[in-house]
Order: sequence, then structure tokens, then C-alpha cells
Amino acid sequence: MAIDVAVLLSAGRHPVSGRGRRAPGDHRALEMALGLSLPRAIHAGDPSAPMLGDYLGMGLDGVTVLDVPSDADPVPAFISYLEAAPPDLLLAGCRAENGEDSAMVPYIIAEALGFAMVPAVAEIVSIDDGSARLLQALPRGQRRAITAPLPLVATVDRAAPPPRQSAFAKARRGRIDIIDAVAPTDIDRAAWQVRPARQRPRRLGTQVSRLSAAERLSALTDVPAGTGRQLVEPTPGEAAQAIYDYLIEQRILTPPAKAKTKDQSP
Amino acid sequence: MSPVRRDPRTERKRSRSWTAEPAAEAPLKTIDDPACLVFAVPDLTDDKLSSHDRDMLGAARLLADAQSGAVVVVAIAGEDDFAAAGADRLIEVGGDAFTGYCPEARATVVIAAMAQFSPRHVLFPDTPTEGGHVGRLVAARLGERAAGNVQHIDGTAIERRGAGGSLDYVMAAPRVLLVAPEAAAPVSSARFEARVIAETSAEGDHRLIDGGLQPIDPHAVPLAEADFIVAGGSVVSPWDACPGAAAAGGATEGASRVACDGGAMARDRQVGASGTLVDPRCYLAFGISGAAQHLQGIQRCQRVVAVNTDRHAAMVKRADLAVIADAQDVMAALADLMEDMRRGD
Ligand SMILES: Cc1cc2nc3c(=O)[nH]c(=O)nc-3n(C[C@H](O)[C@H](O)[C@H](O)COP(=O)(O)OP(=O)(O)OC[C@H]3O[C@@H](n4cnc5c(N)ncnc54)[C@H](O)[C@@H]3O)c2cc1C
Ligand SMILES: Nc1ncnc2c1ncn2[C@@H]1O[C@H](COP(=O)(O)O)[C@@H](O)[C@H]1O
Repeated sequence: MAIDVAVLLSAGRHPVSGRGRRAPGDHRALEMALGLSLPRAIHAGDPSAPMLGDYLGMGLDGVTVLDVPSDADPVPAFISYLEAAPPDLLLAGCRAENGEDSAMVPYIIAEALGFAMVPAVAEIVSIDDGSARLLQALPRGQRRAITAPLPLVATVDRAAPPPRQSAFAKARRGRIDIIDAVAPTDIDRAAWQVRPARQRPRRLGTQVSRLSAAERLSALTDVPAGTGRQLVEPTPGEAAQAIYDYLIEQRILTPPAKAKTKDQSP
Repeated sequence: MSPVRRDPRTERKRSRSWTAEPAAEAPLKTIDDPACLVFAVPDLTDDKLSSHDRDMLGAARLLADAQSGAVVVVAIAGEDDFAAAGADRLIEVGGDAFTGYCPEARATVVIAAMAQFSPRHVLFPDTPTEGGHVGRLVAARLGERAAGNVQHIDGTAIERRGAGGSLDYVMAAPRVLLVAPEAAAPVSSARFEARVIAETSAEGDHRLIDGGLQPIDPHAVPLAEADFIVAGGSVVSPWDACPGAAAAGGATEGASRVACDGGAMARDRQVGASGTLVDPRCYLAFGISGAAQHLQGIQRCQRVVAVNTDRHAAMVKRADLAVIADAQDVMAALADLMEDMRRGD
């Protein structure tokens, strides 16, 4: 069964030079899509943007460009285009690199089309019988297995496999299909003040600011002290038990299955 | 900043006993007639407030205080000392619908509470798969334009980062806010009422089926991402018991530089200033002295357990639990114990 995959590709922006490029999250989404089928690639913005070639060069036949001004809200254009031909699976990046990048675009589309939505996908394990088995990326290298019904919107995490190189020859062969679209100007945005991102000082330890000012100072100038429970010269067995109990108490280890129910703590 | 200089050593001792009896002494603040409500929806991963949750509650506190409002914590499947974390009111949500991964059910219950209490703002920690996801589902369903990646709050204005991290947008706080870590300091100076105003155990709607966390190979996890690290120092030899203890606990292995120099461990396992800076939830150190360069590497660790024969070792001072004993023996006993517990003896 061939599944109809569409992928949303936004324009990236190099953080230092400011040059246009493929967006680092979205090209992972495209890589994932190419692993499933030959996807429909969709961009809303300027059809003459050179960075479209970077996406085409990854092995697409063409890109569909919804021709909207780059400062307009692309979402209504996406919705009317996708409502006319809804895919089984819509992949997007976790957040864009240009403009507001609120990561809301896939959510608003999922809501409008009535699709389920899974964020931060690292891998698509399989697709069959109208559902997809996915692995979601969690902090610290963890993965959660999720089964979700199609049709589905999924955003692709940076933990997903890196994209292939873009080949110049393929980029030149690729088509750009332009669709005229209406896009409302973004009125809210006029009320925002914009300034270069300011790096705020980061806090030291996680607990630090829950402490007194004096303790905060000593945390900055000194080696932070632990909360200091001590066990002096226990037998190896006692020591092991104390460490084990601490790890359970702090939820670093999960207790063995029989004690696993949630409501047992007093 | 206070200009008064004090001896940090006496200070530390004093404040340590202060933390031993926490906010019980902090003054109680009550808000009886709030001008508006500010919802705070913590992730409560592992049923407890995370530090990101506490930062988000600090942000909720700022927005409420700027508008003579009250903070309402919507506590979905979890309990903690919400009074100390800044909650004036509490909506308790429980029930079977909320075990496991259930973002859609969470969004539904938050929307229901919003319909009932009409909060001016609703805050979530901007975590990709939890609060940040639920908050965006809520915003999409209600047609609200959420502010994500909120970095700072000043009165009722917020600053959020966009354009690939290159620009900050300053705007009036919208209804739905997704708050970055450290956007505000957690509440520490007072206790609040945390008075329960509603209890629900809603039916959840689920389209996603949670298949649970996948077993991962701890060795495949880069040290910087590891959740639990078991590390050994120069004196640990033979090394067999360390991987044993690590494997039984699902931990990632780390080492001091001396241990790596000796070839007992690969260089990519070195923790410290010239190795990897780590921030696991727990760092278990066997026979590591705690040289300054090593401690720099574990500065952000939440919990440290040290096993060392020298009770004056710096690592012992840094530890939350210190065991003064032979590392080799304890390591072997711990590996055995964890293996037994896992087999269910
Ligand atoms: C520029 C520079 C950069 C450096 N960067 C790093 C770095 O990134 N990471 C790093 O780790 N180091 C680094 N170092 C080295 C650092 O200064 C220390 O030398 C090193 O961390 C010490 O390793 P250790 O604790 O394993 O060994 P030692 O200092 O030899 O300490 C051994 C510890 O084990 C205890 N012990 C002894 N026998 C037992 C036993 N039977 N049971 C239990 N405990 C026992 C001792 O009491 C002692 O505390 C750096 C040094 C320099 C100069
Ligand atoms: N103009 C656009 N064209 C194509 N895809 C877009 C566009 N804007 C957003 N997207 C997609 O939606 C994701 C999230 O974007 P955002 O909500 O703007 O942060 C991006 O990673 C893209 O996959």
C-alpha cells in the first residue's frame, strides 16, 4: 500500500551570515519522508528562493510552492491546499528558523484537518493498517514508542537521522510548481518590538536559586555542597543497600515490577 | 546584591540547616480576592515538579503579582508541595485517563478548566513532548496565538525568542505562554495557600497509544545526555564491577581523567573540564577524589553519591549521600543487589 506523505519545508537562515538555506529541522523531516515514499514537498513563500534547490537536490521531483509574501501568515494557504488533497502523513520540522518560529504551524494544520499530532519523532518504525508506529525522542537519549492513527501530523526531532547531501544535478532537474495563494498580513506582529537576541546569564546549579542569597554566592564562588548524608564504614552490603534505597527514593531507579503501582507511597 | 561579606564556610553550614527545615518558616501569603487568575500547568514528570516546572511557576507568580491576580496550579496526575512553589489555588486532576502519555487528555482537561474559571493567562513549561506540546494543542483548539520559548517576563510584557534564536520579540503577554527554562526564578521566599478549588477525574480522549519507554543501550547514550552515570576513578581496578553496577542500574559509565589515562576507560567517557560536562539526574562516583577539574564537569548534576575511603575528599563534600568505604567492595555488592532486585528475589 502506497502511503501519501507530504512534508512542509520552510526557508532556513544561517545564524551568522543570515544567508538563506534549507532549514536544519525541516531537512531531517524530508529525509524521513524520502525513506517512506516519494513525498509531496510543500513550501509557502518565495518560489524563486535559491534554497529550494537544496531541498530538490535531496532527490525530490519537484516542490510545490504556495506563493505568499514572506511576511504573511502561511497557515491559511496550507490549510486550503491540504484540505483539497489531504495526505495520510504530514511531516514538518519541530520549529522554523525564520520569522516567528513558534512551532505552531503544524498544530494549527492538524487541528484544522482533524489529524492526530505527534511531536518530536525520531524514527518511524512501521506504517500499516491505518496506523503508524513511531519513536518519540525524549531528553537524555530516551525513546518512547507511540502508535498513532492515520491521518497524522508528526514533527521531526533533531535526534532523527541526519539528511543526505544535496546534489546539484538533481537540484537542477527538479520542478517548482507555483500555486497562487492568498495570505492575510500578520497584524498582531506589527505590535511586537523586535531586537537582537540577548544572552541572559544562565543559572549555575538547578537548585541554586532556591537557596538563600549567601548560599547562592557560595555556590558561585565555591564547590557546591551536597545535602550531605554520610554513612561511615558500613559493610559492603549495608552500603549497597543504602545506595540502592537512595536511588529508588530519588526515582533514579524504578522499583521492581511488584512495587510499581503509583498510589503506594504514603 | 548584598555588599556584606561573610565567611562562606559558616554561611554554608548555617544555610544547610536552613534547607533542612525548608519553607515551613517562610511567611504565608494569601490572596483572597484576586483580580484575575493565572493558570500554571506543570509537567509533573515522575509525579513531581521538575526544575523547569518551578521556573514556570515563578513566571506565573510574576504575571499574577503584576496584575493582583492569583496563581492556580492545574495539577494533572501528580503531587508536590505546590504551596511552596507558588500556588494560591489548586485544581487537582486525577484518574486513569492520565496514566502514561496522554497529551490530548491533558489538553482537554485544561480547556475545560479554562472554560470554568476564565484565566487571563495559562502557562506551560515549553518542553517538546510534554507542556510545550499540550500548550500548543490547547492554543490550536482555542484559536489562540501562543507565545513559545518565552525567555523573560517584565510586568505584563514578555520576551520570546524567535528567528532561529537570533531575535527576541517583546509583546504583551498573550493568553497561552510556553515558558523556557530559567525564564523566571522559582519561588523561594514565601508559602502560598494552594487551596483546592476543583477536583476532576475527567475521561480522557486518546488517539495515541503509549507503547512506553524503550529500553536503550546506555553505552549508546552520549555522556552529555546520560540520565544516570556510574563513574570510577583511578583506584578502581579491576574494572569489571563498574560496568556491572552500571548495567544493572541502566546507567552510563563515566570516569576520571586518571582512569582514562590509565587506559581503563575510553577517552570519550572522561567527565570533567577537559572531558565532558554532564548533567545527569544522578552521578554515582566510586573512588573519585573530586579534583576541581572533575567537579566542574558535574556542576549541573542534581544528585551526587560518592563512595570513597577518605572522608575529607572533595567529592564527599559535594555528595548528597556519601559512603566512607572501599569502592571495589561496595561496587560489587551493589551490582549483586541490583541484579537480585531486578530478578525479583
Ligand atoms: C588542565 C587539567 C585538566 C584536567 N581535566 C580533568 C578532567 O576533565 N576530568 C578529570 O577527572 N580530571 C581532570 N584533571 C585531573 C584532575 O586534576 C585529577 O588529577 C583527577 O580528576 C583525579 O582522578 P581520581 O579522582 O580518579 O584520582 P585520585 O586523585 O588519585 O583520587 C583517588 C581517590 O580515590 C580514593 N580512594 C583510594 N582508594 C580507595 C578505595 N579502595 N575505595 C574508595 N576510594 C578510594 C582516594 O581517597 C581519592 O579520593 C585535569 C587536570 C588538569 C591539570
Ligand atoms: N512558510 C513555510 N513553508 C513551509 N513549511 C513551513 C513554513 N512555515 C512553517 N513550516 C513548517 O512548520 C514547521 C514549524 O514552523 P513554525 O511554526 O513557523 O515554527 C517548520 O519546521 C516547517 O516544517
